[in-house]
Amino acid sequence: MRETGKQLLYSAKKCIGCQACTVCKHDVHTFNGFEHEIDREKCVKCGECETACPTSAVQICGREMTVSEIIKEIEKDAAFYGEHGGVTLSGGEPFLQENTVKLLLACKERGINTAVETCGFYAVTAAVPYVDLFLWDIKDTDDERHKKYTGVSNKRIIENLIKADAAGAKTRLRCILVNGVNADETHYKNVADIKSKLKNCTGADVLPYHAFGGAKAELTGQPDTSDKSMIPDEKQIGLFKSYL
Amino acid sequence: MEFSSVNGIKRPVRLSEATRRFACESLGHKYGLMTKETMSVSLDEIEGFESFTPIQKYDAAIMKIASEAPVRICDGELISGAATLGTAISHQIPATYNGKPVFMSLSHLTADFETVVFKGVGYIRANAEAAYEKYKGTGKEEFAKSCLVCLDAFDIWHKRYLEALKDKGCTDNYNNLCNVPYKPAASFYEAVQSIWFVFAFLRLCGNWPGIGRIDKFLAPFYKADIEKGILTEKRAREILAHFFIKGCEWICGGNYGSGDAQHYQNLVISGVDEDGVDITNPVTYLILDIIEELGISDFPTTVRLNKNSSDRLLYRVAEVMRLGGGVLAVYDEDNVIKAMTEYGYDICEARRFANDGCWEVQVPGKTNFCYIPTDFLQILQKNTLKNYDKSVLFDGFDALYNAYLADVKAFCEGLLSSVLQNNMLKCEDGIWVWRKNIPCTVISLFEQDCVGRGLSYLEGGAVYNVISPHVGGLADTVNSLYAIKKLVFDDKKIGFADLMRVLSENWENCEALRQYALNKYEYYGNDNDEADEICRRFLSDFADICDSLNGRSGYIFPGGVSTFGRQLEWSPQRLACASGRKRGEILAANASPTPGTDRQGATAIIRSYCKNELHKLPVGAALDIRLLPSCTKGDEGLEALVSLLRGFVNLGGFFMQPDVADAEILKAAQDKPEDYQNLSVRVSGWNARFVTLNKEWQDMVIQQNECGCGY
Repeated sequence: MRETGKQLLYSAKKCIGCQACTVCKHDVHTFNGFEHEIDREKCVKCGECETACPTSAVQICGREMTVSEIIKEIEKDAAFYGEHGGVTLSGGEPFLQENTVKLLLACKERGINTAVETCGFYAVTAAVPYVDLFLWDIKDTDDERHKKYTGVSNKRIIENLIKADAAGAKTRLRCILVNGVNADETHYKNVADIKSKLKNCTGADVLPYHAFGGAKAELTGQPDTSDKSMIPDEKQIGLFKSYL
Repeated sequence: MEFSSVNGIKRPVRLSEATRRFACESLGHKYGLMTKETMSVSLDEIEGFESFTPIQKYDAAIMKIASEAPVRICDGELISGAATLGTAISHQIPATYNGKPVFMSLSHLTADFETVVFKGVGYIRANAEAAYEKYKGTGKEEFAKSCLVCLDAFDIWHKRYLEALKDKGCTDNYNNLCNVPYKPAASFYEAVQSIWFVFAFLRLCGNWPGIGRIDKFLAPFYKADIEKGILTEKRAREILAHFFIKGCEWICGGNYGSGDAQHYQNLVISGVDEDGVDITNPVTYLILDIIEELGISDFPTTVRLNKNSSDRLLYRVAEVMRLGGGVLAVYDEDNVIKAMTEYGYDICEARRFANDGCWEVQVPGKTNFCYIPTDFLQILQKNTLKNYDKSVLFDGFDALYNAYLADVKAFCEGLLSSVLQNNMLKCEDGIWVWRKNIPCTVISLFEQDCVGRGLSYLEGGAVYNVISPHVGGLADTVNSLYAIKKLVFDDKKIGFADLMRVLSENWENCEALRQYALNKYEYYGNDNDEADEICRRFLSDFADICDSLNGRSGYIFPGGVSTFGRQLEWSPQRLACASGRKRGEILAANASPTPGTDRQGATAIIRSYCKNELHKLPVGAALDIRLLPSCTKGDEGLEALVSLLRGFVNLGGFFMQPDVADAEILKAAQDKPEDYQNLSVRVSGWNARFVTLNKEWQDMVIQQNECGCGY
């Protein structure tokens, strides 16, 4: 599981070695000559280094906001929404945040269309009345593989999907395609089966794996696990699409 | 035959094979190169030429051009007439004496094509004859006579085409040119021919007029002909397409600095009429069809949008826009009309607005227009901050701002009085009279009310005479002021004197603070109220300054915001800015954010821009938005583009030119120009074929695309 709270981001490219970040009272930032060393374990995400850093090489990613603060942000773009436009909650996983349903309700009260990208692991029934479209991840229909790559079983995800559908949720399936992992026709067929059982599903999109995660991993100090060999080819993508 | 788009979306095929081939030839420089074969006519043989008055010389030049310019009839063309003298392409009257062009020509105007179509050139002749009778024996006689001479020249040129068409057996074209432009057009086909023929004559004489609201002029003819069953949609599209294709007859390839398609032949489509009724009609959509299919960028076309513009229109505009080329721009006409009426234009006149052939708003066919571009960042750096001399000290932001505003006011007063002195003369009784200017009878014939008043376009003949001071360097000025406010007065990161020193040293040895200024503040274009407020306040104060200078002469001084690419010349001379910019770095275009400072996306740029009281600037303020082709793909991309247009209107914009372009594609075009001959980009009020820009301009466009992608 990834962290759900704030994260300390560091971009070596932007760092000019000015050492302003050593303002930190917890000794997260130390300099060994020009080498900027970061001890993330000690970081309490107070943001003092972020304020001091002139180049924004050090940033605290994540901000606590109230529902009304978020609504204010969303409404800034209200002039652009028209009849079809609106807000898409994304993440991470929006339903990990406890006030997501409140936020969705507040949007609907203001006539703002809502969409939510979800991994489907958490119960969404309470949100269904306030969501115009769920963009629902179906990562893998093979449960063993699902466990291996995501750490959890897919049973709950599929059950949640069926329940949400029964409650009237409009969904669109988002299916990641990873070469060497789930690029097989049994999986394609299973997704098509799930789709055919849904009454309110508007379609399914194939999302080919990409290796752009490396940049983010670098910023958060995590190992880069992205792997270009996992990018599917056009033929695989076409075949998957043909099932959907 | 392939007309390419920036994002691989295939352009539809609706036009005939022959018309598409004609477009390929024209875009492939065939007629441009042909035009350059005869550069100009010679006046050397005219007896006594040197002793002529300027108007006599002018009349002789126009007569000679009309009589001798090559007549060009392209195979299969549906409409006739061509501007066939090469010197006209460089904005001069193509007539020489001793090898040198005799007169400059005119641009930044939209001629009165409405009168041409609905009343005919015959109507103008009748007026000119009446004027001659009226002014005979007065000081206006010479101009009145010149009007008749130029109309005679026009007739000669017209007859030459009729004869040539007859000789060549082009019966349809011949028949279609018999009545027009002399008489009012009687059909759609005649109406298009009429506009084109006058347009071509104006261009043949070296002028670069805009065309204006062509869908409004053609709508009644289209409707009537369809009802009569003598026209089909397909045929109308073909005829109009030839208008577009013939408009490329000055394209010659090669490098031209600011591009080879900059002849101000703007169109304005959609919007309301004099009574406030929406004129959007099938011709509006035919024009969009043609731009979509052929990707011709030579007629920059601006769509007048309002809060009631239909979804159909918005989606069609977005569909054409996303193919790239920057051909389409938009006005928020609600705001434009508001600006003009608040300024004092009659509501019906305001609703008629088009532009000067670029994007500056004017009442077409009635306006003598010029604008004065100025780098307002230079006023801040040089006048107010005295090139960062250590003697300069301000103890608060308002003191600095007020000092700057006083310098701006002094500058505008000086500027306008000198322009005024050049054009007008103050008599002893305090009344301003117009100075003699260069002759310009051909344009005067097609600008109200020159003929009636017996005065040329440049000497008080036009109904409206506009000199528009333009703010350039807006974002850089605002950002500089904002950064000084934050760094010195609010956050106290550095003292005023120290900052002046740092800036005079181009941020040498002060990289941490420079980075702080660059990264820690949200500048104009990010929907940051604090920065945007400085912009709003400044433009509002500037508009008041312009107003305060009004009413002293026959001129009005409405303000505007533009750079038109001049930031390229300005940037090497500007000093470092408190916002972190080093000497020589790129400056902002028009009313757009400085490239690299806009971090919050296209909607934030539009929100920042719309916070300005744009209705106080009746000539306009242009906003450039760069979008990545990949962001406009698919249904979602189309929706996003439509939302952007809708938001622009809802928030009260003025003029926006979105360009869908990819820096990578532009770089590839720089490397292999032969593969990208017709890739066009929006430069400012015009488009340019990218490969015809010189290297500096190309680099600027690339830089703007790399930094300034809204999405």
